[in-house]
Amino acid sequence: MLSCKQVATIASDYLDKSTPLKWQIRLHLLMCANCRRFVRHLKITQQVGAKLIIKETTEDAEAVWKNLQARLKTEAQSNKE
Amino acid sequence: MASVKLLPVAQTAMRNSPQPTTSNRMSTTTSSDESELIAQLVRGDDHAFRQVIALHHSLMLNIARTIAGDVFADDVVQEAWVSVYKNIATFEQRSSLKTWLLTIVSNQAKARLRKESRQLSLEQLDGETAGSYLDGGNFKADGHWQLPIPQWNIESPDALLEEQQLQHCINRTLNLLPPTQKAAFILRDIEQQSFEDICTILAVSAANVRVLVHRARLTLMQVIDRYQETGSC
Repeated sequence: MLSCKQVATIASDYLDKSTPLKWQIRLHLLMCANCRRFVRHLKITQQVGAKLIIKETTEDAEAVWKNLQARLKTEAQSNKE
Repeated sequence: MASVKLLPVAQTAMRNSPQPTTSNRMSTTTSSDESELIAQLVRGDDHAFRQVIALHHSLMLNIARTIAGDVFADDVVQEAWVSVYKNIATFEQRSSLKTWLLTIVSNQAKARLRKESRQLSLEQLDGETAGSYLDGGNFKADGHWQLPIPQWNIESPDALLEEQQLQHCINRTLNLLPPTQKAAFILRDIEQQSFEDICTILAVSAANVRVLVHRARLTLMQVIDRYQETGSC
């Protein structure tokens, strides 16, 4: 049977449904309250992550666009020379 | 001169582009809308290009920061936009536009790192932090937990996010994560990109992406754990 350390190491793979050890983990979780709590907390953390909003930069798309135009112009000029 | 260096970045991105995925939450267009948008970009429609900048610039900047650092990020993203502008006509749409853009900015950021002779942080799978959940000290010799996992008083994600202090702790911790972990976490858990796309964007193996995401989650879980216990970071 898997140990708690092994379950903790691959718990994200279990939540992401990308481990071939799904049934071994389930068996362990049936018998281990600590790991059940650990996996539940990890799942909550994952759900919190999904709701996080990365602070958007206030950079104006127009400014980026103008910068881009300026770069293209400079490149075109240096290519001519 | 610059165009000589820029073209291979976009071409690499195109070669590496995976099949289209629809998993990311930021995608506000259907595939037919996106095809139309791309057609407008190819026709040189300035308005469409501004629209794409408004949609994706922030995330591209975040990815550039995590790979190349704050100092180079702005320049890297500008170079990426130049590359996109020049190469949009050759974009084969084997991935979503967003994945293509992120792959270009990622390649550009890595190229900048190499140019600046700095260590490639993406190759580092930063070692396990002492004191993390996976620290050997948390387990007995037989691999079972030394101590019980503490209970959480708040288990609803929405309720957790209503806690201002916890939000502050999470944001602070996110900014302290090693760059690669942060990039993988943002792309997977916040942007909901597929593992396949993240592998392409960050040019790391699927196994490594999984490890990076897991470590980032464990670090944030520890923040929530501490907050539940002490009410602070």
